[in-house]
Amino acid sequence: MSTLADNKKLFARSRAIQRQQTKVSYLFLLPALLFFFGFVVFPMIMGIYTSFFNYTMKEFSFIGIRNYIELFNDSTFGQSVTNTLIIAVASVPLVMLFSLWVATVIYQMPVFSRSFFRGVFYLPVVMGSVPVVVVWKWVFHRYHGILNWTLSSLGIISENINWLGEAQYAIWCVLAILFTTSIGQPIVLYVASLGNVDQSQVEASEVDGCSKWQTFLHVKWPSLLPTTLYVAVITTINSFQCFALIQLLTSGGPDGSTSTVMYYLYDTAFRIYRYGYANAMGVILAIIIAAFSAFQFRVMRTDD
Amino acid sequence: MNKKTLTTILVVLLVIAAAVAIYFATKPAQEPKEAATEITWWAFPTFAQKDAKDPAGTYEQTLVDAFQAKYPNIKVKLETIDFTSGPEKLVAAIEGNKAPDVLFDAPGRIVEYGMNGKLVSLNDLFTDELKADINNEGLVAACGDGTNYWMYPLSSSPFYMAINKEAFEEADALQYVNLEGDRTWTTENYVKALEALHAAGKLTSSVYCMNQGGDQGTRALINNLYGGSMANADLTKYEVDSPENRKALELVKKLVDDKVLEFGPEINAGGEIELFVNKTLAMTICWGTTAAKINTPNMDFTQVWLPFPSDDGKPVLEYLINGFGIFDNKDEARVKAAKLFVQFLCDSEEVGKANVLATGAFPVRTSFGNLYEGNADYELLTAFTKYYGPYYNTMKGFANMRLQWWTMLQAYLSGNTSLDDALATFQTESNKDL
Repeated sequence: MSTLADNKKLFARSRAIQRQQTKVSYLFLLPALLFFFGFVVFPMIMGIYTSFFNYTMKEFSFIGIRNYIELFNDSTFGQSVTNTLIIAVASVPLVMLFSLWVATVIYQMPVFSRSFFRGVFYLPVVMGSVPVVVVWKWVFHRYHGILNWTLSSLGIISENINWLGEAQYAIWCVLAILFTTSIGQPIVLYVASLGNVDQSQVEASEVDGCSKWQTFLHVKWPSLLPTTLYVAVITTINSFQCFALIQLLTSGGPDGSTSTVMYYLYDTAFRIYRYGYANAMGVILAIIIAAFSAFQFRVMRTDD
Repeated sequence: MNKKTLTTILVVLLVIAAAVAIYFATKPAQEPKEAATEITWWAFPTFAQKDAKDPAGTYEQTLVDAFQAKYPNIKVKLETIDFTSGPEKLVAAIEGNKAPDVLFDAPGRIVEYGMNGKLVSLNDLFTDELKADINNEGLVAACGDGTNYWMYPLSSSPFYMAINKEAFEEADALQYVNLEGDRTWTTENYVKALEALHAAGKLTSSVYCMNQGGDQGTRALINNLYGGSMANADLTKYEVDSPENRKALELVKKLVDDKVLEFGPEINAGGEIELFVNKTLAMTICWGTTAAKINTPNMDFTQVWLPFPSDDGKPVLEYLINGFGIFDNKDEARVKAAKLFVQFLCDSEEVGKANVLATGAFPVRTSFGNLYEGNADYELLTAFTKYYGPYYNTMKGFANMRLQWWTMLQAYLSGNTSLDDALATFQTESNKDL
């Protein structure tokens, strides 16, 4: 009897300690939660709420889904959605494949060389958008750019190309810059992830006569899948939210050929003060991103 | 407590009370302490710094110091903003209820904020005396919306063109430029000059249209070529679709297609000016006193200022007014302090004149007299002022119209859209909120 009573006491005490620990955990989480609710959840709810209003610098009146109806009849918005999709669909696989390739190559290098290349590829990420775009603007400059100079010196072009001023080139220039600023983080993540691959399995597969490709596909790749999923989702979100690059490089031109949803949203809110309409765009963009992310989770999910 | 102790306590208390009463009764009444008022001033870089090496805001800070010395109970917090990110910062601040008290800008934005209910009316500052001193109905009207005045003006100057004289001479194109009198010139001669420059292998000028930066240059060029305008006569509707503007746009398109004129959807006026200053382009269509003041030290060629070419040789020029708006931050004391500050900057003989000179423009007050006596360039600009056109920058929907303007230029000049469609879209979109 006394043992049962002792166990009950012990159990109750253990639960009390657990409750106490939970409380302490929540208290530790509280600052982050407050920040999250204040700066993420609340603005998100406000964004959805105001998207149903004719919200401008002067007015704030409920208009139901009229902003959304207008959006679906807005050709500039349509073009911006198309451009955004082109950027996302073109950049995500490219970034992932290139990052994976670079990571596998530099992973085999000595520590110093590996760190050096990680630093080189990560540099555009830490530099920030403005200096990166300024440098690329010089590269693509129509009259004095190094790209035109190189191509004409090699006899490839006879007259300068207006890289940022012609629709057929501008979007690819944007993609090229986005690519350089997007690969840094995936490379670092893949290099770290390759370090977690079970070497005994790699060696076993080699002993069993697997080719390098077979070893990669059947041994390394399954270990890299969680990282790949993370990289895919983050790169997709960054591509969909491509804004600073467009604003600094082309302002959405020429003739809307590089306008993205984020840029058009910014233009609508800050240049013509239609905040409600801009928020409706934000809601649509969030839905598209959520759909893409869900699709990626479904395709690349791992059981563990 | 016995009776004696109680009596002693009461007597002591009475004595203390009496002493306190006598002290306060005889103490001279103190002035109620005036609480210091703090206002914020956001300034675009319109004032040139005394030394070009000085960081932005150095000159403005001297004004703040002088004001605070005169009014020690008012503290002014200065923040400089630039033309690239400044407008967005302003919108964010306005919507976040963190707007500055004083803004130094031009009427386009200020009057728009006023019409949206974000500013305090300055009708009380626009006395008959001030209006008589300005002595220019158009300029006074540009400071408001017809009911309220929103901007307190300081200085004004025209926008014009500039050419690289040596480049024109080398291409034998200077013969088409009128260097006499007001230097007015015709569209025909403008085209001949462009063709001569092009034939000599020079890049002439760019129809830039990346965004709204310096878009007054492209508007002035196209409106002037055949006598078109941006709005109807009573400034109630944007009216670009006219035979005159169609003819001008068709001419510009032809010149672009023939590579006589550069099409610049990748640059704004800042980029175009840079190309002019580094001698890539032989002329700029977005020159003004501020641009000249900032860039002249970096130019190793002779700049010649010209009005925009027109069919009949009579240009209609756009112009800039520099002035101050006061945000309604629901605090009477701050509004009062802001008005005092603005008047200090604009009205006082010494500070006002120095500020006009720092903008490189003309004073709006006639009482300030001629601040540029003997300066040939400014005598020419004085002559340009008679060509000032109607001030449509304070029309409703001006910000949206600017967006539609450069979008229209990109669409038409890139060849993606017909002139009919481009103009129809402009007309519909720019007038939809009017």
